[in-house]
Amino acid sequence: MKPRYIALRLVKTALTVIAVVVLSFFLIRMAPGDAATVMAGQSGYADEAFMKSLRAEYGLDQPLPVQFWKYVQAVAHGDLGTSYVRRQPVLSVILERLPNTLLLDAFALVVAIAGGVWLGSLAARRPGSAGDNVVSVLSMVFYAVPQFWLGMMMVLLFAVWMPVLPPFGIETMGADYVGLARLGDVAEHMLLPGVTLGLYYMASYARLTRAAMIEVSDQDFVKTARAKGISERQVSRHHILRNALIPLVTYAGLQASLLVGGSVLIENVFSWPGVGTLAYDAVQARDNPLLLGIFIVTAILVSLFNLVTDIAYSIVDPRVELG
Amino acid sequence: MTAFARRFFSRPTALFGFAAFAAIVVIALAAPLVFAAGPFTIVGMPLLPPGSPGLPAGSDVLGRNMMVGLAFGARISLLVGVTSTLGAIGLGVLFGAVAGYYGGVVDDLLMRVTEFFQIIPTFVLLMVLVAFLEPSLASAVIGIALISWPQVARVVRGEFLSLREREFVQAARVSGLSDRSIIFGQILPNALTPIVVISSMMVGNAILTESALSFLGLGDPNLLSWGNMIGGSRSAMWVAWWTTVLPGLCIMVTVLALNLIGDGLNDALNPRRRR
Amino acid sequence: MLDRRAILGAAGVLAFPAQAYSLPPGKRVMSAMMFDDPATLCYPLFNTRLTQEICGNINESLLLFDWQFKPHPNLARAFEVSPDGLTYTFHLRDDVLWHDGVKFTARDVAFSCGVMLPELNPRSRSAFQHIDNITTPDPYTAVVRLKQPFNAFLLSLMASSAPMMPAHIYEGSDFRTNPYNLKPIGTGPFKFAEWKRGEYIYLARNEHYWRPGQPGMDGIYYRVCPTPEQRMVAMETGAVDLAMADDIDTVLVSRLRANPNIETVTDAYNGTSEITIMDLNMRRWPFSDRRFRAAFMHAIDRDFLVKAINFGIGKVATGPIPSTAPYYDPKVLTLYPHDPARARALLDEMGLKPGLGGIRHRFGIMMTPDGNGAWTRGCQYIKQALAEVGLDANLEATDWPTQQRRSGNWEFDCDCNSYGEYGDPAIGTSRFYVSSNIRKGVPLTNLQGYINPEVDRLFAQAAVAVSHQEAQACYSRLQQILTYDVAMVWLYERLPVFFYNKRLKNVIRGPNGPSDGLGATTLA
Repeated sequence: MKPRYIALRLVKTALTVIAVVVLSFFLIRMAPGDAATVMAGQSGYADEAFMKSLRAEYGLDQPLPVQFWKYVQAVAHGDLGTSYVRRQPVLSVILERLPNTLLLDAFALVVAIAGGVWLGSLAARRPGSAGDNVVSVLSMVFYAVPQFWLGMMMVLLFAVWMPVLPPFGIETMGADYVGLARLGDVAEHMLLPGVTLGLYYMASYARLTRAAMIEVSDQDFVKTARAKGISERQVSRHHILRNALIPLVTYAGLQASLLVGGSVLIENVFSWPGVGTLAYDAVQARDNPLLLGIFIVTAILVSLFNLVTDIAYSIVDPRVELG
Repeated sequence: MTAFARRFFSRPTALFGFAAFAAIVVIALAAPLVFAAGPFTIVGMPLLPPGSPGLPAGSDVLGRNMMVGLAFGARISLLVGVTSTLGAIGLGVLFGAVAGYYGGVVDDLLMRVTEFFQIIPTFVLLMVLVAFLEPSLASAVIGIALISWPQVARVVRGEFLSLREREFVQAARVSGLSDRSIIFGQILPNALTPIVVISSMMVGNAILTESALSFLGLGDPNLLSWGNMIGGSRSAMWVAWWTTVLPGLCIMVTVLALNLIGDGLNDALNPRRRR
Repeated sequence: MLDRRAILGAAGVLAFPAQAYSLPPGKRVMSAMMFDDPATLCYPLFNTRLTQEICGNINESLLLFDWQFKPHPNLARAFEVSPDGLTYTFHLRDDVLWHDGVKFTARDVAFSCGVMLPELNPRSRSAFQHIDNITTPDPYTAVVRLKQPFNAFLLSLMASSAPMMPAHIYEGSDFRTNPYNLKPIGTGPFKFAEWKRGEYIYLARNEHYWRPGQPGMDGIYYRVCPTPEQRMVAMETGAVDLAMADDIDTVLVSRLRANPNIETVTDAYNGTSEITIMDLNMRRWPFSDRRFRAAFMHAIDRDFLVKAINFGIGKVATGPIPSTAPYYDPKVLTLYPHDPARARALLDEMGLKPGLGGIRHRFGIMMTPDGNGAWTRGCQYIKQALAEVGLDANLEATDWPTQQRRSGNWEFDCDCNSYGEYGDPAIGTSRFYVSSNIRKGVPLTNLQGYINPEVDRLFAQAAVAVSHQEAQACYSRLQQILTYDVAMVWLYERLPVFFYNKRLKNVIRGPNGPSDGLGATTLA
């Protein structure tokens, strides 16, 4: 039963990725202007002969279906083309930046879950109390705050008014730290963007945790535990929290699609050299191969992530958790 | 209807949200009447602090009155928020209804399309769409509608899937009503509840998205929206905090109001689902 | 300013002792910034300000120019001009090596001035079209014979216009795809060492540089720093030493000016003498009507534009030739003071009466993509100013590829840009007003389509005038005609600010600023 399910999911994933490749290719090709315009613009030279030679070099003078077929073949071999602007292979450009984005995402996730669960469980312990309301209101507020503005407020607070944290980049420019020093430098630079990214999702996790914990708290097995005299704290931690984790993990899984696209704004505000800023630069410069490459890499990543979580669910059966 | 209203307004947060949103709508509508000169008129030197003569909210980096800019910004946000949501709902209802009613291949196709939107980085897709359509109000509305309709479609599809097996639908079919009149006349009115609930949240999200686009410079350069104001103040913030703080607060209050309304709608329309 | 490292270190957050950022001992390295990687490091191919500043350290010219624009020996240790102004003889230094060890000879001069520069660089093309031939009687003498006297010829040899390029690398190759465009070879105080895309370009000391005692530093980093706020922070924290023109947004100039560790220089770009202008597409009505253009000028309060919108940086421009440049003649100019009433009168006269909503005419202004910087703000102010006289200007946001395409193909009503004079009107100014420089598809040409045979004639005459008086007479008449005609909308003379950290000295030595290279810079 399991292997068949996994195999089916793999096939579905592959099909979806292929669909993404096809749709994205044609979508991006529909854009006005092409490689020749971009690169001619860069060279400050735009005469017809030069543009023609550029088009020939990049295979843009061929009919669209031919271009598409060539592209598919290349992708199958792991070649995502060459960036118009950077003149480097798209895949290596993306892979260079991807770890930065994933690092930021991971840190933000930790912040969001840790903070969210803590706040949510605080609120759930005494529903309807002042503390509960404060947490509710706070999460509502953070849910309504524009991410990029929150980032700028952090810069205002921690770099302009109280210059204690670096507001831009991933490392101190020119310092060339190595080893542990480098780790500390990156961590320091990651604080502001990571917390900003995390705060928005923290609100969601807080609400989820709170709702889940209250719901579970009403159930019989918990009442039994309380009746047995187990301390409130223990009840909270052992029974309620663990059950509340399921919707949390579900929610975290749903956020997979935000792995890359979700950090565009934060990366932009903090000049964090990740795939988000890469995408923004690519849009501004009409760097089509790079854009296409980002779509495809994201699609593959997200699909894999979803696949893994789905498989994990099919293995970890919820009923094992209770009792 | 009155029972619904009573349930809605009995929640203090919903009441507050409604009042705040109403105030913002009033400001947006009244802005061109109160500030006849418009938000682009330069009234003095740039970056004057709030409290300067005639400038309760200070002046921005071009010497324009921040207060007027904030009031007019409400118009853009509301316009884009509401229109793009209507567009998303229109598309979502159409595709969701058809997919949910007919099922089969049509439904599969829809599911694949929604999956596509779930997998690709939607904000990047939006940037691509807007950049390629040339940044303007129209391209923002179209772009946001295009990336938001899948979630509506999913909800509508779900409703249709469960509703199409009900007796009143069978009866309608037996009595010879066409598919179209069944979909739009019979099932849809019953499926709208969840749409109404998420609609105000969608407007809030659309406002956040529009301000993000403007912030990144992909908004209409001829209009002054809150996102524009924040984006234009990235350097100015270091010497004039109000150019960034104030527009952001406006966005936050508006979206918060809409979210509170959405919560209230949720509770009022689903009385079983208590806290 | 609190030292964040100390605080975080004290809080035990960082696992390493809080250290202040300082140079590794024994290495005297300075850092500058770039907003993005340049497309190429072959300066003649793509002369943007950025490549100018980087390549200024790598490539050199025959002559250096002082604050009065008088020429001094550089790669040419001496030169003579024949009395008839037709023959220029350059005696080259015999101790100059290219960075790859090959000797610099007259062959390189003949190749650069005769072949490569005219082919790639429009500015050089128009200056060097006067050359009849270049001969090299011996390896260290280059004789340039002109078809007719060209009094700006020496100025056209400024490093920002005519860097010497290695013949042994480029001769016979396709200049545009030559691999050395990405790892340039020059004769300058610094040589190309490393290019880490997205991070930095590193230039290392040229051990065999011909000037004794130079370079004063061991290397230069050009670090990628995409946003103006980021660049400002980099300067304030000392992570970077040099901030060149436009690195720092005009909004933030005052903040850096007040910083005690930073030196401010305002005349580092006098050699370029840029004017921020608006091109008007005179192929389209009503831009073809002089009265419309005059109304345009009267509508804009350029004083306010400089003082308020540009935070005091710049000087109102009065015509095609900047006030700091030679041949500037204030006596003959038609001035256009801020006068909305006059503007409205002119528009009425033209028949452009206010219609619905008080709007007389609608058109578009194509903006330069500068990320909400000074040009964007300028355009936003101008839109406002024009609205007050009933002209509805639609701001069109673009990105670089679109802007280049539209401007080269004349698909615009107006645009906003900055044009540099580069020392002589024959070099930097004439290209925008002579009808022979109307070339479709090429940026930085006579994009407006302005055609005036008398102007053509005068520019040609002035360039070959032998005496200074004759040239001045021509340029005065030109300024008179062009300002009367409103041949372009001249907004303000840019005075880009250059900042450097006080730990350095001898950074700016002449009006070309960093384009002449940072060889003389040392630690203070």
